[in-house]
Amino acid sequence: MNAFEIILGTLLSGLRSATPLLQVLLGETVTERSGVANLGVEGQMLLGAFAGFAIAATTGSPWAGLLGGFVAGALLSAVHGALCLWTGANMFASGVAVWMLGGGLSAFFGIPFVGRKIDGFVPPDFGAAAHNPLLGPILRAATPGVLVGLCTWVACGLVLYRTRPGLRLRAVGESGESASTLGIRPSRVRWAAILVGGGLSGLGGASLSVDQVRNWIEWMTAGRGLVAVGLVIVARWNPWWALPSALLFGVVESLALRLQTLGVGISPYLLSTLPYLVCLAVLAWGSVRARARGAMPRDLAQVFSSTE
Amino acid sequence: MNRRKLSTFASLAAIALALGGCEKKEEAKPAGGTIGFVYVGPRTDYGYNYAMDQGRLALEKDLGKTTVFFENIPENAEVQRVMERMIAEGVKTVFATSYGYLDPALEVAAKHPDVKFMHGGGFKLAPNLGTFFADIDEVEYLSGMAAGAATKTGKLGFVAAHPIPQTLRNMNAFFRGAKSQNPKVTMNVVWTGSWSDPTKEAEAANTLADQGIDVLTMHVDGPITIAQTAEKRGIMVCGYHADASQFAPKGWVTGAAWNWAPLMEKIVKSIDSGTWKSENLRGNIRDGYVKLASYGPAVPEPVKAKIDSVKKAFEGGAPLWVGPLVAQDGTVKAKAGDTLSREKIESMDFLVQGVVGSVK
Repeated sequence: MNAFEIILGTLLSGLRSATPLLQVLLGETVTERSGVANLGVEGQMLLGAFAGFAIAATTGSPWAGLLGGFVAGALLSAVHGALCLWTGANMFASGVAVWMLGGGLSAFFGIPFVGRKIDGFVPPDFGAAAHNPLLGPILRAATPGVLVGLCTWVACGLVLYRTRPGLRLRAVGESGESASTLGIRPSRVRWAAILVGGGLSGLGGASLSVDQVRNWIEWMTAGRGLVAVGLVIVARWNPWWALPSALLFGVVESLALRLQTLGVGISPYLLSTLPYLVCLAVLAWGSVRARARGAMPRDLAQVFSSTE
Repeated sequence: MNRRKLSTFASLAAIALALGGCEKKEEAKPAGGTIGFVYVGPRTDYGYNYAMDQGRLALEKDLGKTTVFFENIPENAEVQRVMERMIAEGVKTVFATSYGYLDPALEVAAKHPDVKFMHGGGFKLAPNLGTFFADIDEVEYLSGMAAGAATKTGKLGFVAAHPIPQTLRNMNAFFRGAKSQNPKVTMNVVWTGSWSDPTKEAEAANTLADQGIDVLTMHVDGPITIAQTAEKRGIMVCGYHADASQFAPKGWVTGAAWNWAPLMEKIVKSIDSGTWKSENLRGNIRDGYVKLASYGPAVPEPVKAKIDSVKKAFEGGAPLWVGPLVAQDGTVKAKAGDTLSREKIESMDFLVQGVVGSVK
């Protein structure tokens, strides 16, 4: 195995494990750009993972599973939306409540689906290209789940920065009050952002259970939704930076596993903290550089700085 | 109560609802010597809990017993509540199957001297609480023999959660079995740091497959993710806990599995006849409490015959942990012909030479 193959292999496996994270990260970015934080994405991811797996197991279609994951995530985020936008609940308390609710509901209804077998996406026959040392691994890594993730990334970037609804969303996030003087209704925009954000988190969960792992087990996301919430800050609330941030985490995570197999004399427990350490370092570096500009949507910043 | 307080209350209510949702109870039946089981995960995981549940089903089928079970019960005060509730509903024997249930079970046992408790894996006793478990090392050795015969690249991979004596014993036994069939074989170890993290398990399996490893095995709660990833990558897999061959029809080699039925039946019969006593019940391949899972297509008949003869030797009392045993760093753990003591086996903290991986 030469150096090129190792680098390519690490990059591709990083992309594979970053894909569910990327979807959640994009979802949370959209939500936070509208001025609402949603800590419940872990719950939406879990419910999406369960719903996606259950639907794929019942219908036999992994595509239906991905779609079902999106819908389940959006429905659960509606609970968050109702709590913070209608009753004016504290969005952190509501987020944690929704997180636990998603975990509990998915564990409860998911019991009959533990140990079920699903048909994942069947890779097409690539013919001679499959044996090419460069093309082969890339084609094998580009599963539908990964491709959907990359398309979502481009779509989020374009919608947020190149379209009118995207401009409105950013305006609402910076200042709901100013936006409403322009005739934009902040609550509507925020509702849409919460639903899309929750849907993308559910889609991330479904692409984990249906495509990447092909297995459902309760609490299977193991904190990855919360990692995505942190990565939003690393990506400076910019959807274009979501892919590099998720990839950074995914690549370092898969590198940590690879270093183990190479017999590196470092404790695996220390190695598994590597992705977090690297992201912390990037966060610190990015924060120092961006201090003057401040990338956090201003209405969201108010939530963080207010004492209520 | 103003709106904000109301909504905080609503949030807390949602949390309570969600936490309560983890618990599930099925087919509660009337009193009369009902046997209750508590599982830490779902009983359909084709892993640890599935194997325990197979024992429960055997009690119903072979002895005509009435049983109840609870799944997904965390190892905290929750399990005490569950056991109390089962006892209130007429359960007279409790199988607390997860390691972390030991202390809660001891507390409940002290309050209910008329109920018998059996804990899986522990070493503490009470007048009405005993423990049960089995050594699976010998079966791991047999499974390793099949892997060593099946591998074409001569490279094996082992994915496990934490470096504790049980996982290290399984790794060393598996590797030594493989080496008995293919002296050149190597084995790479990946620790996931969690008994159940399918994402890391899949990634670890993929990483090992990328490096030309063609037989995987594992010691995590459920074998499904790794078995399926191996099948997807076109490589082979040896299972753990239970027979998961249906998840890798092409690549399944065999696996080490629990067989709790005979042990649980023995316990229940001794309770019925009044001969039960509080003790640490242990068994192994000789007692049939552990067994080899079914063979997949990769194991040819002559290899099966060889495995069978070694199995008979173990059943006849041949020791597994006999030297030469050399650790990764070259330390001799047992000289040729010497046998490891029971204490040394149960506190194993090293990997044998030829295994690539860390034990810290």
